[in-house]
Amino acid sequence: MKDKTGKYSLIGSIISSLVVVGIFLGLSLFKNSGRAIPLYTNVDIMAGMIFVFILSIIVSASIWPGIVEKRLK
Amino acid sequence: MISAIEGIGYTASGKVDKKESQDRERKAREDEIKKQRSNLIIAVVLGIPISLGDMANMFPNLLWFVPSFLANDRVLFVLTTIIMLFPGRQFFVGTYKGLKHGVTDMNLLIATGTGAAYVVSVAATFLDLGPGYMHTYYDTAALLITFIVLGRYLEATTKGKTSEAIRKLIGLAAKTARIIVDGVEKDVPVEDVKVGDIVVMRPGEKLPVDGVVTEGMSAVDESMITGESIPVEKNPGDTVIGSTINKSGSFRFKATKVGYDTALAQIIELVENAQTSKAPIQKIADVVAGHFILAVHMIALLAFFFWFFIGFEAFGVAGSAAFAGVSPFLFSLLISITVLVISCPCAVGLATPAATMVGTGKGAENGILIKGGGPLEMAHKINTIVFDKTGTLTRGEPQLTDVISTASHTEEEVLRMASIAEKGSEHPLGEAIVRGATAHNINVPDADSFKAIAGQGVEAGFGDKRILLGTRKLMSDNGIDAIHLNASMEKMENEGKTAMLIGVDKEAIGIVAVADTLKEHSKEAVDRLYKMGIEVVMITGDNARTASAIAKQVGIDRVLAEVLPQDKANEIKKLQAEGKIVAMVGDGINDAPALTQSDVGIAMGAGTDVAMESAGIVLIKNDLLDVVASIRLSKLTMSKIKQNLFWAFGYNTIGIPLAAGILYPVYHTIIITPALAAAFMAMSSISVTTNSLLMKRSRIK
Repeated sequence: MKDKTGKYSLIGSIISSLVVVGIFLGLSLFKNSGRAIPLYTNVDIMAGMIFVFILSIIVSASIWPGIVEKRLK
Repeated sequence: MISAIEGIGYTASGKVDKKESQDRERKAREDEIKKQRSNLIIAVVLGIPISLGDMANMFPNLLWFVPSFLANDRVLFVLTTIIMLFPGRQFFVGTYKGLKHGVTDMNLLIATGTGAAYVVSVAATFLDLGPGYMHTYYDTAALLITFIVLGRYLEATTKGKTSEAIRKLIGLAAKTARIIVDGVEKDVPVEDVKVGDIVVMRPGEKLPVDGVVTEGMSAVDESMITGESIPVEKNPGDTVIGSTINKSGSFRFKATKVGYDTALAQIIELVENAQTSKAPIQKIADVVAGHFILAVHMIALLAFFFWFFIGFEAFGVAGSAAFAGVSPFLFSLLISITVLVISCPCAVGLATPAATMVGTGKGAENGILIKGGGPLEMAHKINTIVFDKTGTLTRGEPQLTDVISTASHTEEEVLRMASIAEKGSEHPLGEAIVRGATAHNINVPDADSFKAIAGQGVEAGFGDKRILLGTRKLMSDNGIDAIHLNASMEKMENEGKTAMLIGVDKEAIGIVAVADTLKEHSKEAVDRLYKMGIEVVMITGDNARTASAIAKQVGIDRVLAEVLPQDKANEIKKLQAEGKIVAMVGDGINDAPALTQSDVGIAMGAGTDVAMESAGIVLIKNDLLDVVASIRLSKLTMSKIKQNLFWAFGYNTIGIPLAAGILYPVYHTIIITPALAAAFMAMSSISVTTNSLLMKRSRIK
C-alpha cells in the first residue's frame, strides 16, 4: 500500500509538473510567435522551464500523496 | 526506526537513563549554538565582501573603494560556493531528508531561493547566456544564507536562554555531603550518598539530599525550593529538602531520597519536560505552517508566470532605470525567490515554543511547576475551580481555637486542666489541646492516671482531682450538670468546631474547642478568584455542617460535602457536564482521580507524590495565591503566543504581496529584494523572541 502510494504519487507529480512546464513552453512560444524580435531568448525559456518544473514538482509532490491515498482506500 | 527518525533530521537513540538523556539534550543545545555561531561567522566574513563585490559591478562609482578583484565573478563564485557548502549546506541536507520522507519545511523555501540564485549566477559566470544575463546574484544567495543563519543562531541561543531556569535549578545542588561511615564523619561526593545514610549538617551548609531529621535542631532556608523567605524550624522527625541551606544549628538527618529521586531532581525533570512539550496551539501552528509552505510555493509559481508572461512587458520592466536590460526570466526569478524567502515561517515556528519556554521558566522561578504546554494553555480557560478542603484550604491538622470558662474559673485554668487530661493522649484533638496550652506558656504536668472512653472523651486523675473531658453524654453519665454551657457548645459546633466540655470533680468548668483552621492565604485566594469571574467550589468528605462552616469562613458559596474519595472524580465530571472548564486543587492520594479528571489538576507541593504525579501544575510553596498566579501566568503566556502568531503571520500577509511585486506598477522597482526579505525574516524571528522574553519582566503576583 505504502509502496503503491509512493509510486503513483511520483508518477502523478512528474506528469502534472510536465504539464505545467508544457503550458509554460506553449505560452512562451505563443508570445514569441509573430514578433520580429522575440520577447524571450532560448535561455529564458530553458531556464524558465527548469525553474517551473522545480516549483511544480515541489507543489505536486505535496498534493499527490493525499489524492492517491484517498483513491486507494 | 532510529534510522528512519534520523533520516528526517531528528536524533534518536535506544532507552537511556534520565541523567544520560538530560546531559545529551543539554549537549545538543550547546552544540547547536556552537554550530550556528561558526556558520554565522563564516557567512558574515564572506558575505560582506561578496555583497560589496557584486554591488561594485552595478555601482562602480559609488563603491570605488572595493578592490577590483572582488568584483570578479569567478572570485565571487568561489566565495559564494564556500558559503553554500558550509553555512548553507544545512538547508539542502534538511530539504533532502524531509523530501525523502514526504515532509516539507522551511528548509525547502530557503534551499529553493538560494539554490536558484546560485545556479543562475554560476551559469551566467561560466556560460555565454546572451543579453540580459550579464548580472550575477551571488550577493543574493550569500546574504540570504547570512540572514537566515543569523535567525537560526538567535533561535538556538533563545532556546539556551529560556533554559536558564533549569541551569539555575541545577546550580542549586550540593556537590558533597558529610555522612557517618563506621561512626566517623566522612566527606563524600553527593552521588555516593545512599538511602539510609546519616548526613551531618553544620551551620551555613547546603543539604545534599532529602531526608528526615534524626538529631538536633536548626532553621533551614528553603526559599530556593519553596520561595518562602523565612527559615523553617526543623526538629527531629521533620523532613528536609536537598539543596536548601542550614542556617543556624547543627543537626543530623537520615537520607530518604537521593540522586534522581530528590525533590530538586524531580523539579528539574518537570521543568525540562514542560519546556520541550508542545502546547496544543503549537500543534495547530505546525499544521498551518506545513500548508503555508505549500501555498507559498504556489504563490511563487503564479508570481513567476505573471511576471514572465504579463507583468514584464505590461509594466515595461526592460525599459526601467532599475532593471534596464534584465531578462524576463531573471526578473521573474528574482520576484519568485523574494516570495519564497519572505514567506519563510521561522517566526511562526518560534512563536509558541519561545513563549511556552519563557512561561514555564517564569513559573518555575515563582514556585509554580507547570508540566508542559497543555496545562499552561488550558489554565487560562478555567471558569470553575474546585478546592479540596483538608490540607488544601485548611492546614489539615486541628488547632485549639476557643477556650471558654464559667464565671468561677479562668480560661487559663480551663486550658490547663484540659491539657493535663489530654497529655497522655495520642489523639490529634488531644495533641491540639496540649500544643495550644504550650503555645499559651502554660505548664502542663503529667496526669497521675489516664483513661480514654471510646466515643466520649477522656478521664484523668491529677492529685486529688478527677478531670473529665469530652461530650455532653460523658458529663451526664458522670452526674455533671453542663446545661449552662450548652448555648456556647452549640454555637461552636455550628461553626464546624469540635467542642469538648471539661468537668473537674462534679463541676463543669468550661469548654475547649479545636478545629482545622484555614491556611494563611486561603480567603484572599478565593476572593481574588471570584474577582476574576471564576466560580469556586469546595469538595470534602466532611459532614455538611463542618463543611459549611469552613466554606463560610473562606467565602465559598458552593459546597460539595460528604463526598466519598472515590466519588470526587464523578463530581468533577458532573461539573464538566454542565459545560464548565474545571480545575481541581488538592493534595491527597484521594484527590488523584479528581486531579486527573479535571481539565487542569493543581497539586500542593507538600501533598502526596501521587497527587503531584496526577496534576498538571504543582505549587511548590503550598500557597493558594499561586493558584491565582498560575492562571495569570497562563493568560500572560497565551496572550504572548497570540501576539507572536499575529505578528508572524501578519508579517507574511503584508510581505508576500510586496515581494510578489504588487507595488511595481506604482514605484517601477521592486520594493523588497531577496536579501532585504531575508533581513526582514530574521527581524521577525528577533521580534517574536524579544516579545517572548519581555514576559520575564511581567508580574504574575
